Amino acid sequence: MNRPRLAIAGLTACSGCQLTLLNCEEELPVIAGSFDLAYFPMARSGGDSQGPFDVAIVEGAVSTPGDLALLFRLRNASRVLVAFGTCALFGGVAAMNNGTHQRENLLREVYGEAGRNFESFPPAPFKNFVAVDFAITGCPPEKPDLLALLGALLAGTLPPAPSYPVCTECRSRENLCLLLERGELCLGPIIQGGCNARCPATGVPCEGCRGPVREANVAQQLELLLERGFDRREIERRMSRFTPEWDYGKRR
Amino acid sequence: MGSVVEINPFTRVEGHGNLKVYLDGSRVERVELCLSESPRLFEALLVGRSFAEVPQIICRICSLCSTVLKVTALLALENAFGTAVSRVTQLTRELILNGGQIQSHSLHLFCLLLPDLLDLQGVTDLARQAPDLLKSGLAIKRVGNLIQETAGGRLIHPVNLVLGGLGQRIPRDSLLCLRDELDAIIPACAGAYLLFRSPFDFPPLPGPNYLALQEAGVPFSGHEFHTRDGHGFPVEAYRDFVVERVLPHSHAKSAQVFGQHPCVGALARINLGTPLGAGARELLAKVQGEIIGQDMRGNALAQAIELYQAAERARELVQELLEIGREGEGNTTVQPGSGVGSAACEAPRGVLIQSYAFDSAGICTAADVITPTSLNQGALSGDLLALAHGMEGADSERLVGALERLIRCYDPCISCAVHLVRL
Repeated sequence: MNRPRLAIAGLTACSGCQLTLLNCEEELPVIAGSFDLAYFPMARSGGDSQGPFDVAIVEGAVSTPGDLALLFRLRNASRVLVAFGTCALFGGVAAMNNGTHQRENLLREVYGEAGRNFESFPPAPFKNFVAVDFAITGCPPEKPDLLALLGALLAGTLPPAPSYPVCTECRSRENLCLLLERGELCLGPIIQGGCNARCPATGVPCEGCRGPVREANVAQQLELLLERGFDRREIERRMSRFTPEWDYGKRR
Repeated sequence: MGSVVEINPFTRVEGHGNLKVYLDGSRVERVELCLSESPRLFEALLVGRSFAEVPQIICRICSLCSTVLKVTALLALENAFGTAVSRVTQLTRELILNGGQIQSHSLHLFCLLLPDLLDLQGVTDLARQAPDLLKSGLAIKRVGNLIQETAGGRLIHPVNLVLGGLGQRIPRDSLLCLRDELDAIIPACAGAYLLFRSPFDFPPLPGPNYLALQEAGVPFSGHEFHTRDGHGFPVEAYRDFVVERVLPHSHAKSAQVFGQHPCVGALARINLGTPLGAGARELLAKVQGEIIGQDMRGNALAQAIELYQAAERARELVQELLEIGREGEGNTTVQPGSGVGSAACEAPRGVLIQSYAFDSAGICTAADVITPTSLNQGALSGDLLALAHGMEGADSERLVGALERLIRCYDPCISCAVHLVRL
């Protein structure tokens, strides 16, 4: 069988999604043998940036003309485009203030007047610009999700996309409910599961790093948090940390 | 006739950068180093957010150093609010920082830099042509990550490290497992330095101006900086001593200390006497001449010494955590209020400084982050220029190869570099 040709790259991001691949220490030699890592600047020199590729696995949000050009190039050169991680899917941390601040003011705050020279726009997810064939969520993504994708690609298919909230795994681990029993601002009910409720399991409320679960009842979550005495601004700040755009339904 | 030799993008480094060498005939006119990572503006994003959010957000600057980014933020906040933490918390933080050091150094040495020594392109070539070396490196890296995941609750962007303490103390059986895993890799860590002994055959580079923290109290952290020629300054006064400017062609700012471009990282630490255990001191004695007073080509060897140091120290810390009773544990409740707090830590790539100000409700009003790659940027530019000058007349393929190798010696982490102090 031909080895699938992969492009692995990052846009506006922390490289954590690509690092997740390099963190698969036990599987990495097999992965390197089963795939043609044709373009993967973080881990190889002399790659082919033009393609064609079977699959492009790309992390990060889109926030500069350069990001956009690379995204278009990889989209055009690849049969399958995978949005890898929360930034690629929802905008992620770099986008958290999109709804509340002007980009140019933020640039000026960090770089002074020199900030005017940067070509930069509010960080946005891939889906605003191109068709996305598959997505792995998480900040960082979970290794098993990545390995499931790679395994499926070798079999010529894509893995099923799970859709259940963090609470599902949290309850099955029999963790103390931080939201109901300790009154903490936990986002578990509306966030995509698959992380095995890592944070609540150590006593830390879900910060929402995996983005909204499908059909999340956002209005009800907001209602519940307001009832428990949280300030609306604080709730919205917390919810926007990884996903700037929420549909608050009737509570808007 | 003028011409330009370009390296774009950098490969086998974290983040995005490019380099242009401007030539007039065969004469090198100048080099332009551009850290082109898209700006994420963390310092501005934090303003208006609650103190409690700061450590969770700031670790997202960079995945390779997310642990030390988070610990430094916790220390800065605890300084701002006058919070003391338990012995178990201190030991657990030191353990996870050693885990981060093992993971970061082994990734750089065995996955990113080793291909240069063997004349290969990257991990795929290593898997095919040096599978045993790659596997032994990955085995070390795996244990570094296991420490981070066990102590941090997650491998990248750890969750278990919280203000004033820990989400949960590391369970005894997990510590026993870490002890066995560390025992299994310590021999390989002790021998790793042998691979990185022969520095690249470059023309001479300028003498580096080492800068590191003088360790005091909390390992990896400190209250004073010191330099090669005996200058020093306190961490809280960093703004007066670290002078930065925005470069027109780069998204990272360039820093100067005492009028010179500093050089930070493993090489600087070992040169400035950051404490090592007995085993690492013994290794250092064997290769002293290749590290002490050397230029950045000695950095990989210095990292290899630190890799062994980190594994040995992690083993001791696991033992200490196994022995310490309940009297050493517990979390401190943080009382937020108006205040300013700074902290500095030695990240794998060098000194990292963070500083925050809060209003009376604990809302962040100002944030500064100075990262090792930004501190190193001026020295890297200078070295690249010196190397390009020294190789005038060489064909462009050889020149590009040498420049890329030099860039990787610095182990740059470019996502970090674009988040810097406000002017």
